[in-house]
Amino acid sequence: MNNLYEILKRLYIHVVFLILLGASLSLYFNTTYYQKSKVGALTKSISGFWHRQASKVTSLFDLRRSNILLLMENVELRNDIERYKTKMQMLQDSLMKIDDTAGIFRYIPARVIDNSINSRHNYIMLDAGTTDGVYKGMGVICRNGVVGIVSATSNHFASVISLLNIDVKVSAMHKKSGAFGAISWDGMDYRRVVLDEIPLHINVAQGDTIVTSGFSTIFPKDIPIGRVVDFYIKDGSFLSISVELFADFKTLDYVYLVNSRVKDEIERLQTAK
Amino acid sequence: MHNNILKYFGITAILLLLQFLVLNNINFLGYVNPYIYVLVILLLPYRISRWMLLVVGFALGFTVDYFSNTLGLHTTATLVLAYSRPVILSRWSFRSIQDIHGVPDISNTSIEWFIVYTILAVLVHHFVLFFLEVFSFKHLWLTMVRIILSTAVSTFFIVIIELMRIRNKMVR
Repeated sequence: MNNLYEILKRLYIHVVFLILLGASLSLYFNTTYYQKSKVGALTKSISGFWHRQASKVTSLFDLRRSNILLLMENVELRNDIERYKTKMQMLQDSLMKIDDTAGIFRYIPARVIDNSINSRHNYIMLDAGTTDGVYKGMGVICRNGVVGIVSATSNHFASVISLLNIDVKVSAMHKKSGAFGAISWDGMDYRRVVLDEIPLHINVAQGDTIVTSGFSTIFPKDIPIGRVVDFYIKDGSFLSISVELFADFKTLDYVYLVNSRVKDEIERLQTAK
Repeated sequence: MHNNILKYFGITAILLLLQFLVLNNINFLGYVNPYIYVLVILLLPYRISRWMLLVVGFALGFTVDYFSNTLGLHTTATLVLAYSRPVILSRWSFRSIQDIHGVPDISNTSIEWFIVYTILAVLVHHFVLFFLEVFSFKHLWLTMVRIILSTAVSTFFIVIIELMRIRNKMVR
């Protein structure tokens, strides 16, 4: 009896360790990445608050650069508006009446308040939430490319699964030929992603542009993603293309959330069949 | 005694703030991130009971997870570190230098001893952390490089912080 007590006394610390280890491992494996990204509204507001305070300071450092970028974007947009104004004038001249002038996609601006690129499962936090019209599954783009997909929202913040997350796949297209495939990240270089499933007969060259395909209704068609830097034959039947991203995830600042007005309609049609 | 507990809460708060606000924003070479909150476990008193060590490790890891969307990841790594700390402290023949009633920090030992101690502990922590995060042996080599580089950088930061802490103590 005394012996048993001695053994228990010697072993109990290992048992405590194993119990705690089991608890933490099941916490890790039984929660999906989606669940992790919405541990609770409370967490998000607390960390959101902190990240916002921190980004208030850090954003000062590249205020100058982001001002210049915004200025350049404004100029481009203004030019576009002017171009469309003249086009509109031409259309109005030739048509009696235009029924649906509102676009299919509407954009919601947001600021990045937390961002990571050094994990395999990177997330981005934005300062726009459900009160701004953000919902789960929305696409996120920036000035020069695709950023990610909204995974969870609270009232004033949204958590975005970055394109730099090995679990994310985005439908993409080789612009010149129209061949489409899936973009994913291999977890290595934050500047590069991989485009798979492009058939062998497609003529791909270095420097070709890769854009979104517009098939998924998450992103509009022809949003630029990156430039072909390298490609090789994978499994003998498809090309695997290494794509250098246009967007620099290290310095993300302002992004746009994509609200598709026809998403529900298309999805209803897809599930109906 | 109460003073000591308050002191540890203070150290933990400072290290976590430093971790979240400064170090998590350093992306050295794109994938090296130092984790300095490990220092809390290193600095616990030498005579602390093992179950207390485990509880502190679990709670600390959970706090880090809670704020970085990684439920269970840091908890596991810190728990394993807390479990293996007595092993690290006993296996290596440093015992002669240690003050048995004190804390295994630089002022009670020597800087060489503390560096070796930190490297071993951080290595254990990072090994669990990075392999659990990737959870495959596919990019074994890359993961090993990440572990070794991160261990070096974490150790560097921890020793710097510890030296600053000790110097402040001396001045006071």
